[in-house]
Amino acid sequence: MPIIITEVILADITPSPSPQTFQVNVAIMDLYQGLMSWRIWWSLGWQDIRLRYRRSQLGPFWITLSTAIMIYSMGFLYAKLFKIDLSTYYPYLATGLITWTFISSIILEANEAFVENAGFIRQTCLPFSIYILRLLTRNFIVLLHNILPVLPILIYYKITPTADSVFYLIFGLILFLSIGYSFGLLLAILGSRFRDMKPIVASLVQICFLITPILWQHSMLSPKLQALMNFNPFYQLIQLLRAPLLGQIPSTNTLTYCIILALMGLSLMVIVLARCRHRIAFWV
Amino acid sequence: MSTIHLSRVTLDFPIYGANTRSLKKSLVSLVTGGAIQQQSNSITFVRALENVCLELSSGDTLALIGHNGAGKSTLLRVLAKVYTPAIGRVQIKGRISSLLDLNLGIDGESTGYENIVLSGLLRGMPRKDIEANKKTIAEFSELGDYLAMPVRTYSSGMQLRLAFSIATSFSPEILLLDEVMGVGDSSFMEKSKQRMTQLVAESDIVVFSSHSTDLVRKFCKKALWLEKGHVKAFGLVDDVLKAYDAANPTASTV
Repeated sequence: MPIIITEVILADITPSPSPQTFQVNVAIMDLYQGLMSWRIWWSLGWQDIRLRYRRSQLGPFWITLSTAIMIYSMGFLYAKLFKIDLSTYYPYLATGLITWTFISSIILEANEAFVENAGFIRQTCLPFSIYILRLLTRNFIVLLHNILPVLPILIYYKITPTADSVFYLIFGLILFLSIGYSFGLLLAILGSRFRDMKPIVASLVQICFLITPILWQHSMLSPKLQALMNFNPFYQLIQLLRAPLLGQIPSTNTLTYCIILALMGLSLMVIVLARCRHRIAFWV
Repeated sequence: MSTIHLSRVTLDFPIYGANTRSLKKSLVSLVTGGAIQQQSNSITFVRALENVCLELSSGDTLALIGHNGAGKSTLLRVLAKVYTPAIGRVQIKGRISSLLDLNLGIDGESTGYENIVLSGLLRGMPRKDIEANKKTIAEFSELGDYLAMPVRTYSSGMQLRLAFSIATSFSPEILLLDEVMGVGDSSFMEKSKQRMTQLVAESDIVVFSSHSTDLVRKFCKKALWLEKGHVKAFGLVDDVLKAYDAANPTASTV
């Protein structure tokens, strides 16, 4: 009989004095090596897209198609309901929806990022961050697909990008991806440890969609609620990309919020990875 | 020059019950102080390895022997740096290629060729070498046109041929194999034995686990006998096998 030690679950969370409980250098190495192995995650991300095309002729355009139908039908209806001019509402809804799709699919897929890659994790010692970068690559390519149905709207309503908005779009994307990288990794770790994360997160994401100004506009709220809405991370994340897509510049408030969110995420990621990295192989 | 150095490696394997995998239930037990579902919120640890010391250097070929559940696969995963031990030091120098489970690391939806490219990338090969490798793997696996089809359509024997061909095509410095020797039909088995002989000659260190004493004698100079996570014997293959056979009179005939 093997020796069996039983420990309460809290012991799993509180640090024990064994040598590998907290290894910041290992965590940072993982993140660094993950970024450096760009050839691996870039190819894996593309491979995912290729497989989606193989399973159906439309591939990721299925998502594009459903986004397009949603934008064009809902845009028409809600513009009437809210009594907003179509020329304002269509671009607003379209850019907001594709940004939301980008955010929500990263969140939902991050839960399973490690479990999905259990085959690699249990056989090789690749950096764990690779699997998150693969997911970001894949979703970024899907975002590029989703921009297509938005383009006619932007062109039709003559929303032209300025040099400033292009700069903020690129800056916003980099900031957005680093937030996705850090919180994606945190979700992936939680998702491999707790298997009921996915349904929990899925229902939370659904709620967040409704309480975030995507279908409706921030300006419809009372000043008090508007101030409160500034604390909604999803609102700020959407603003970060939606504003430059609409040819505007994101507010200082949004930029500060997102930079703080990114810094918080990155440090939290290092802490959790330092604490849990050696356990993930047992969890998947 | 590759080396493997393990000192006093102890590894506890957490066994999660359904309740400990649930965030909802863990939160409930945290709030209620474990008053509800009292016995279920604990994680059981199985000590898979205890106090394992091992030193290997270039030219060593090591066989891991022992019963099912003795810790052979766990030890291979420690060597592959997949599992980090709770206590002890692991120092490994050299490029590792591992074939620990035939179904792992191969994507069922991708074609055989795509899997070859992906596994090459995962092992850090440059594109050029991967292209060259494609041909050799295609020839060795004898899968022909099937390589252009998704792997999930393969029979288990074909999948195994592909996995074995991929894992053994990279001439690593350290090769880790888990009970995958002698796979496939008899003609492929013969081929894989030849490939193994060649690999043993090319690689610096080979570690594999096997229940077949024939294979162990054929390929290995050293052997490590594991029992319940402890090293029972370590030394030259003949000595260890003799001791193992003496302790397990029925197990040696395979």
